[in-house]
Amino acid sequence: MPDIAFLALSGLVIASAVFALEARELIYGAVGLGLSLIGIAGLFILLGAEYLAMFQIAVYVGAVVVLILFTIMLVERERGRIVEEEEPVRLGRAGIYVAGLVALAVAAAVILLAPVSPEAPEFYRAPLQELGRSMASSYSVALVILGLLIGATVVGGLTLVKIEQKEKTSGTAQ
Amino acid sequence: MQGLPAIQDIVNLAAKIITSRTFLEIVVFPGFLNVFVGAALLTWLERKVIARVQLRIGPLYAGMWGILQPIADGIKLLFKEMIFPELADAKLLMVCALGLMMIAAAPVVAIPFGDGLVIANMDVGLIYVFAAISLFPTLILLIGWGSNSKYSFIGGLRSLFQQVAYEIPMWLSVLGIVMLTGTLNLTDIVRAQEKLWFVVPQILGFVVFFAAVLAELERIPFDLPEAESELVMGWMTELTGAAFMVGFLAMYTKLYVMSALITALFLGGWSGPSILPQPVWFLLKTFLVATVIVIIRGAFPRVRVDILLRTGWTRLLILAFANVFVTAMLIWLGFGWFWRV
Amino acid sequence: MEPLSSYIILSSALLGVGIYGLVSKRNAIRLLISVELIVNAANINFVAFARYSNPPILTGWNVVFYSIAAAAMEATVGLALILVAFRLNGTIDVRKLNRLRG
Repeated sequence: MPDIAFLALSGLVIASAVFALEARELIYGAVGLGLSLIGIAGLFILLGAEYLAMFQIAVYVGAVVVLILFTIMLVERERGRIVEEEEPVRLGRAGIYVAGLVALAVAAAVILLAPVSPEAPEFYRAPLQELGRSMASSYSVALVILGLLIGATVVGGLTLVKIEQKEKTSGTAQ
Repeated sequence: MQGLPAIQDIVNLAAKIITSRTFLEIVVFPGFLNVFVGAALLTWLERKVIARVQLRIGPLYAGMWGILQPIADGIKLLFKEMIFPELADAKLLMVCALGLMMIAAAPVVAIPFGDGLVIANMDVGLIYVFAAISLFPTLILLIGWGSNSKYSFIGGLRSLFQQVAYEIPMWLSVLGIVMLTGTLNLTDIVRAQEKLWFVVPQILGFVVFFAAVLAELERIPFDLPEAESELVMGWMTELTGAAFMVGFLAMYTKLYVMSALITALFLGGWSGPSILPQPVWFLLKTFLVATVIVIIRGAFPRVRVDILLRTGWTRLLILAFANVFVTAMLIWLGFGWFWRV
Repeated sequence: MEPLSSYIILSSALLGVGIYGLVSKRNAIRLLISVELIVNAANINFVAFARYSNPPILTGWNVVFYSIAAAAMEATVGLALILVAFRLNGTIDVRKLNRLRG
């Protein structure tokens, strides 16, 4: 008898994801993405990864979704409302077939080849101190690289602003 | 009709749930009623204290000392007509206003109002509170954009920039406390302050956290999203009637919850001489912090937006890092045992 | 407790939704949303496997931690690119943005 919480959360995740892609307005799409990510955070809690769930909410829903919303508002505001024309139905149907095939192949491969036992050990909540210790010792290189990546992101964003200004003054823009 | 539970069973189950401790905690204290009454009381407190700072009297006629004024306001707002502009997304506005109220009250679940008097004793309680706080800008941005009005949108954008800029000093200023206690559990953090409140060794962190909380609450001196002389009411301009009541109450719920958080993190939570029970001490300290925040509102001018953002991204960040450094020195010099739980 | 295959099916379904979005949508922002969905599907997979091993291994948590942070940064740069492309071309329809210059 499947768990009610798991069913509800996975329903929320998949339904919000489909809604995010199919909604008429882009804003609703971004809100749908936010809902889907909150559902995924709930799934993390079910899997005993509470710190990861909070991290996901704080970073993904608190920052990435805000960024996407912000970009949508800026993009739509400059030229009035951008009407998203209907993509050809053929492409939509092809998309469904491709997606279905890939998802089925991946699921079958993973389920049949996974070397772990499919039943869960007893109720488990990963200790937080272990995570911190491993991050500071075994994965410290990854942490440093992450910091460098953040710096690269900031530099990249600023450079893009400069490029835009240069393109505008050199006359290749409209 | 064999498998259907009898009415008797349902009534029994309902009675068991209602009288269970968790339900009482969620609904009465420190849950729903606590937050609701606290936020309403804070609206009254703010008007009274601001009035005294400005040499007036404030609400006077609704009950003794005007204490029933929040109820009068609530009833008036409930009966007002909800007018939304034609091109504004009314559904989005109402849903986001309600969401704002829910997210504003969400951190209460993890804050301990007494030893063991907490709804959910999470091992990641502190991160949960910060995750809830980081959800505010999303909803405010949606309300500001959904109002389809220049004033609201600019107010929403300013609020977004301000809150996102001050989230980072807020996270970093608490790092000193986490280093000293080694836990993210709010109950353990309060217990670790039995010998000495964290406001003393973490004074830098306290100052940074207080400033960041003022910015998250959009209160003076960080009042720009609601600059009354410039933007009408900022992102809340187009909310009317019951939607406005929910948004307005959400602001004061935020104030209540953040004051409770400051009390739990820096002022020792429920510790105090045992002439009064622990929750009473907690509430006393919370209302003291809220009063200080309200007095600051009456006493300071508004900070300009570029100075505001620059302070958040640079100066407060440096202070927070200095706090972490001082804490690291403390631990290295061997004082870390003092606060270990 | 749920068997592991439920989580694998869920993560594959989310992967499918993301791929459908990538294949058939032409708004650049929807493509970015699809990419985020795919990354999250992988994250669920990691956490599920970390939990269901006996004894549970912590490496899955670490990978997801870095994955969330890196995906946030990738979204940042992607959105900046979309914004600049829009300002220079007036459209974010990826079928029209098919020139390298101008």
